[in-house]
Amino acid sequence: MPETLLQLSGLTVRFGGIAALSGVTFTAGPSEFVGIIGPNGAGKTTLFNVMSGMVAPTDGAFRIAGVDLAGKRAHVFNRMGIARTFQTARVFRNLTVRENVQFGLRFPWRRGGRATDVQAETDDLLARLGLIDEAQIAADSLPPTRQRLLEIAMALATNPRLLLLDEVAAGLTQSEAEAMASLIQSIRRERNISVIWIEHNVVTLMRTVERVMVLHHGEVLADGSPREVAQDQSVIDAYLGETAE
Amino acid sequence: MRPAPTWILIVLLVACLAILPWITSVFVLSLALSIAMYAGLALSWAMFSGATGYVALSSSAFFGLGAYTCAILLGSWPWPVVVVCGGLIATLLALLLGLCVLHLRGTYFAILTFGISELLKNLIIYVEKSEFGTVGRLMIGAPPDNVIYWTVLALAVLAAAIYWLVARSDFGAALRAIGSDEDRAATLGLNVRNAKVVGFCLSAFVPGAIGAAVSVRWTYIDPHIVFNPFIVFQAILIATIGGPTRLGGPILGAVVFGVLEETLRLNFEHYYLMLLGVLLILSVLYIPNGLASITLPHRLRRAKGVERSRA
Repeated sequence: MPETLLQLSGLTVRFGGIAALSGVTFTAGPSEFVGIIGPNGAGKTTLFNVMSGMVAPTDGAFRIAGVDLAGKRAHVFNRMGIARTFQTARVFRNLTVRENVQFGLRFPWRRGGRATDVQAETDDLLARLGLIDEAQIAADSLPPTRQRLLEIAMALATNPRLLLLDEVAAGLTQSEAEAMASLIQSIRRERNISVIWIEHNVVTLMRTVERVMVLHHGEVLADGSPREVAQDQSVIDAYLGETAE
Repeated sequence: MRPAPTWILIVLLVACLAILPWITSVFVLSLALSIAMYAGLALSWAMFSGATGYVALSSSAFFGLGAYTCAILLGSWPWPVVVVCGGLIATLLALLLGLCVLHLRGTYFAILTFGISELLKNLIIYVEKSEFGTVGRLMIGAPPDNVIYWTVLALAVLAAAIYWLVARSDFGAALRAIGSDEDRAATLGLNVRNAKVVGFCLSAFVPGAIGAAVSVRWTYIDPHIVFNPFIVFQAILIATIGGPTRLGGPILGAVVFGVLEETLRLNFEHYYLMLLGVLLILSVLYIPNGLASITLPHRLRRAKGVERSRA
């Protein structure tokens, strides 16, 4: 396995005249746990859209395990080992919770091939995310916070080596957010995968991750350990500036 | 394999339908043929469009192309080969059409499939006029009515088999996921374009073959008859009133539509289409999930299925 799992260099995304991301350079190693923070409109979700193949960058390079994915469609990104969740959970509403999880396991083109025992692995994932009692109900009758857990199960089903989590703790109380953080931490260890987590709950995030990247106006403002980033003057200014506005 | 009795029932039903030519009147046979045709068209449409939510308006094009294939080959090739060729040519059209327009979403896809059907119609009119100096074609060498009926019945059974096999397969799950959230399906590793193209091609064979089989009854065809947009509208209507997401839906819809159409035509000759329209509007308004959603046997079977999966 290469030292660098994910490598972004000079990544730029322009929508019309507006640059949502400009010159983002960032790397992540195998089984690293990185948090991304930044004020609203900083380009965090756009960055995930690029990393999951839903938005093509205007400029710059994107590599996973050394493979350039420029111009590839979203399914290729997933088959290369990137799976994501969405800020507003996107589950297959007309399918049951169980069928939603099964979706990532059942196809032969899955990374590592079709699951050897789809039913058993579906059960394992449902149990791991605490959804086993809701397995037979329609996905859209789950409350939004539980739909996020379902999304994590769906993403894990595709056997990723990099999991992108977009605000999975939004709307949770502080203690629920902490529980979510330790769940993510233990899943990451069990599966030995990299996780990149966008979160507005900075307190919980800083306590959990190994490294934090701060995005501001589409640019990387800081990148380092939570302690370093918390003391970075430009980060403090950016956050205080936003609050004052 | 518990549901063996269901299989026996299905085989018996098809056998009963197959012996109709020997036991009923010409009128009932022609009604049965219409119903089989409606069922085949509606099942094929629902298999793809009901699952994916992509409203395809191309059944008329598949039907018309099948009819013209038949007009050209009839008499020189054996009947089954002619019918199969009609289906294959329609599948080929679906492949080309799918590769060109299946990246479009919603209304754009619907309009383009419709536009291409019209384009094809006008292209055939142009070619026929400039090459042969005529627009229509005579269908010479048609098989007896019984053979046409068995052919269309077999095609309806084929459409039901395709629907059933797709619906219970991983591929069917992929189509339903596309209907639910296409981008999500892609981020979970599904090549959505390929899945849509394959599904679309599978939905084209039966309408093409039915076009080939049914058109011989008219003895004379022209592009306005066989590329009639009413063919696809009817298929969508039947699938919708029956319920496109269940195998029984389009079949039930076809029976109800066929019987209603004939009954009203016989009793209210002048305004049967108006009455039919009103009844259909009412059924869509008050039974939005289709007739199949209110039938008792289905509910019972579902309930039993749940019990079994829990046990």
